Formats: sequence, structure tokens, C-alpha cells
Amino acid sequence: MNLLIYATPALIVYIIFKLYPAFSGVFYALTDWNGINKTYEIVGIANFLEVFKDKYFWQSVLFTMKYVAAMIVVCNVMALTLAIAIESRRKTKGFFRTLFYMPNMISMVIGGYMWMFIFTKVLYYMADNWGLKFLDQSWIGNPKYSFIAIIIVSAWGSVGYLMIIYMAAIQGVPGSLIETAELYGANSWQKFWNVTLPLISHSLTICIFWTLNSAFQVFDVIYTLTGGGPGRATQSVAINIYEEAFKGNIRYGYATSKSLVLLVIVIIITMIQLKLMKEREQEL
Amino acid sequence: MKNRRFLSDLLVYIFLAVAGFFCLFPLLMALMNSFKTNGELLTNVMSFPKSLKFDNYIRTFNKMHYLRSLGNNVLLVGSSVTLIILFSSLAGWKLCRTKTGLSKIIFSVFVLSMIIPFSSIMIPLYKVVLVLKIKNSILGLSAVYAGLGVSMAVFLYHGFVKSIPYELEEAAAIDGSSGLHAFFSVVLPLLKPITATICITNVLWIWNDFLLPLIVISDSKKYTLLLSTNTLFGQYNNDWTAILSALILAAIPVIIFYAFFQKRILEGIADGALRG
Repeated sequence: MNLLIYATPALIVYIIFKLYPAFSGVFYALTDWNGINKTYEIVGIANFLEVFKDKYFWQSVLFTMKYVAAMIVVCNVMALTLAIAIESRRKTKGFFRTLFYMPNMISMVIGGYMWMFIFTKVLYYMADNWGLKFLDQSWIGNPKYSFIAIIIVSAWGSVGYLMIIYMAAIQGVPGSLIETAELYGANSWQKFWNVTLPLISHSLTICIFWTLNSAFQVFDVIYTLTGGGPGRATQSVAINIYEEAFKGNIRYGYATSKSLVLLVIVIIITMIQLKLMKEREQEL
Repeated sequence: MKNRRFLSDLLVYIFLAVAGFFCLFPLLMALMNSFKTNGELLTNVMSFPKSLKFDNYIRTFNKMHYLRSLGNNVLLVGSSVTLIILFSSLAGWKLCRTKTGLSKIIFSVFVLSMIIPFSSIMIPLYKVVLVLKIKNSILGLSAVYAGLGVSMAVFLYHGFVKSIPYELEEAAAIDGSSGLHAFFSVVLPLLKPITATICITNVLWIWNDFLLPLIVISDSKKYTLLLSTNTLFGQYNNDWTAILSALILAAIPVIIFYAFFQKRILEGIADGALRG
């Protein structure tokens, strides 16, 4: 009884703003509720049938997957490299750590617009005046290059976070082990690959997990940088659902069924992740 | 041997310098060009401004109602984080100390939902906001943030309480303080390290969150800094001098916050991530 009294405030806000929306979504997904008509009717699974045929939705799912895969590789490789490079410095460690984390403090909306300036003005200037011709691309207008632009900006905004986690993990590696490896004549690469990496594998899991979950929900960067365009070429799932619900059509019911399909995808991916993690932990 | 050492040091420093420059590049370009006139900017984006004029800043400061937006942000973050800390410390502590079937169920309900992505509940949540008539309400929005934020915070408190000895609470009970009084005078002070972590991660999350306010706040008087900046970007279509000064203005509070608390922030981030 006592328990309930203490847990109630947290439970109330949690149920109203998270649990109830999650469950009521299942109901709304079966209706033709929109922002124009006051009433709505149950239309059964019609919305879901439409989702399965919605070319743009699946295109956005595919784009998101591509984005997630690129982010996992790019961010983790960069973050781990930076963490190792910084950890090897004694005097300048604090300075570089502070510097590299700075972009993470700034909202991706601000960062996105700042980068927009780089991509639409500064790079052209460099191409024209410094002879860096390869920069002369339509960074925002051509989907091939805007994907690269989106990855650059997203990585700029999240590598620092991962780097902090890797640094904390590397600090936990006992110095005596590294010294022993040195005594046996291991070079830097061998020390990293055979001693450090296995010992920080836990943080590797955390970081990949985090990148996957946050990249799957990408919104701010794409919203500010390309708005999902040109056309719908760089739409992520979050952008696709947002546009369906709050721009143009205002089809809440249909957008909700899309978001449930997204939820199922996320749950499947999480289950695969957990399974892989368990297997790996048993190996260790 | 010594030469090789020097060479590898040099390479590491070159790498770090390039990466550092990359981090600061957009900020520096924005800062440098925000002081220019439009003509100056169009002729050369890489030059230093001819003079340090604050015209652009004054223009955008007023246009984006800077102080009002900043105030809204502070109110939103302050009230959300207060709710999250208060609610989840109570719940996390009690859930950890009570060992019944019910406490386990409640705890796992909190934890399991952590995988639900925001975009999945965004639209039904919007409906809840409409029904409760808290659209355009900063305090209402902070209740929403509390709802979204408590599960992680309860999880962190729950884990931390496990590590502190129960004897202290027993001693407090013998001294005659129990219930809420014991919680605030004995338990909460002990939770300080994890409270700091939860505070930092939530302040940063809510301060920089964009999508939820974008949906819930449509009254420009209630705009947060990011919403004002975003609107300004639409209004000043290609007037980059104005836009860049607005971006710098919007980034300043976070940079000041970072300058003062960077050690705490970095510790909190690492701590929160490794427990999560």
C-alpha cells in the first residue's frame, strides 16, 4: 500500500503521457481520424493495408536503415579513434575532451542550420577560390550528396558522446595488463586489438545500442538540413510520420498506423540485439 | 626509437587538431559571418568582418523575442526536471526497498517501455494533449516531459538505491523519522550523485529537444529558443547574416552552461550512459 503512494506521482504522468498513448495508438490506427472532421469512424485494418502499399513510407524505412548502418560504423570508429588518441595524451587530454564534446551540447536544430550555411555557401566559396573542385556539389539538392551531408552533420553532433563513453571504458583497463603486453613485445596495434578492445567490449555494446536507437529516430538534422527532400528522397521514418500527421493531409489515424508499424520494426530489431548480446556474453 | 616516438606523437596531434577544427568549424563560420553586412557576406564568406557591428544581433534579438524565448526555455526545463527528480526518486527508492510481486511488476512496466520510440506515440500523445487542454502550456508540456522521462530516471534511482546500505534508513526509523520525512532528510541526500547525473542528462535532453515543442507549442508567445530560431529561419529565407546571428544567440546559453559546468557535465554523461 505504502509502495503505491510513493510510486503514484511517477506512475500517473507515465501512464498518461507514455503508456496510454502507446496503447490508444492501436485504436486510432483503426480509424479514419483526421484533423479536419470532428468525428471519426472505425475503418478496420484499411490503414495497415495502405501502409503496406505506401511506397514513400517504405522508402523512408529503407533510408532510415541506411542512415542507421552508416551512423553505427562512422560514429563508433571515429569516437573510438578519438578516445584512444586522447587517452594517449597526458597534458592535453582534458582540453581535447572538452573540445570534442562541445557539438553535443548544441541542439541539432542549431547545428543543422549552421551546417546548412557551410553546405550552401562556404563549400562553394572554397571550390571557386581555393580550387577544391570536388566540393562543388549540390550538397542539399542531390540525394546522393545530401545523404553524405546528413551523415557528416549527425556524426558531428554525436561522436563526442560516444567518445566520452569509450574514454571512461579505456580508463578502466588496468595499466599492468598493457605493461605486460609491452614486455612481451606487443606493438600499439596488438595492444589495442588483443588487450584493450576485449576489455572495453561492454562499452562497445552500449555505444552501438545507443547509436542504433537514436539514429532510428532521426528528425532534427534532416528537418533542418533537407526537410526530407529533394522530393522525399531523404525522408526518415520520423519525418514521414510527422509530415503525414502535421503537414498537408493531417491524417492522424493513418499516421498512427504507420507509427505502429515502426514500433513493430523497432521491437524486432531490439529482440535481435538482445539475443546477439546474450550469445556474446555467454561466449565471454 | 626516440624519432619514432616523436613521429607518432606528431601524427596524433595532427589528427586531433584536424578533428578539433572540424568540431569548431560551423561555429566559427557562423560567428565570423554574423558580424558582416549582407554585401560583405556575399563577396567573401572566409574573410574577417570589416568591423564588429552588432546590428544583426540587435535585429534578431528583438525579432526572435530572445529574452521571452529564453525565459520559456528556463521555465520548461526547470519545471520538467524538478518533476522528474521528485517523482522518480520517490518511486525508484520505494520500488527498490519493497520486495513484493507488485513492486517487481511496476518496475518492469517502467523499464520495458523504454524501447518505445517517440515517433510511435507522437500522434496519440498529441491527442492526449488536446483532450487535457494543455496545448500551448509550458507547465503542461513539462508534465509531458516528466511522463516521458520518469522511466529512465526510475531505473537509475532503483539501481543506485541498491548500492546504499539499508542500515541508514533503519537508524533513521529508530530515531523516529519515517515516511516522507525520512526520505527527504536521510535518503535524498544520499542519492545526490545519481541525482546530479539525472539532472544533467535531462536538462540537456529537454533544453535541446525540438520535435515535441514543435507539435505542442504553436503560440509564438510560448516559443522556446529553438522554435523561435526555426521560425526566424523561415522568415529570413536567405538573409544569412540575420540567421547566423540568431543561431549564435540561441547557442550562447548552452555554451555558457558548458563553460561553467563542463567537468560535472562530462562526468554525468559518462555515468548516465554506463548505468543505462
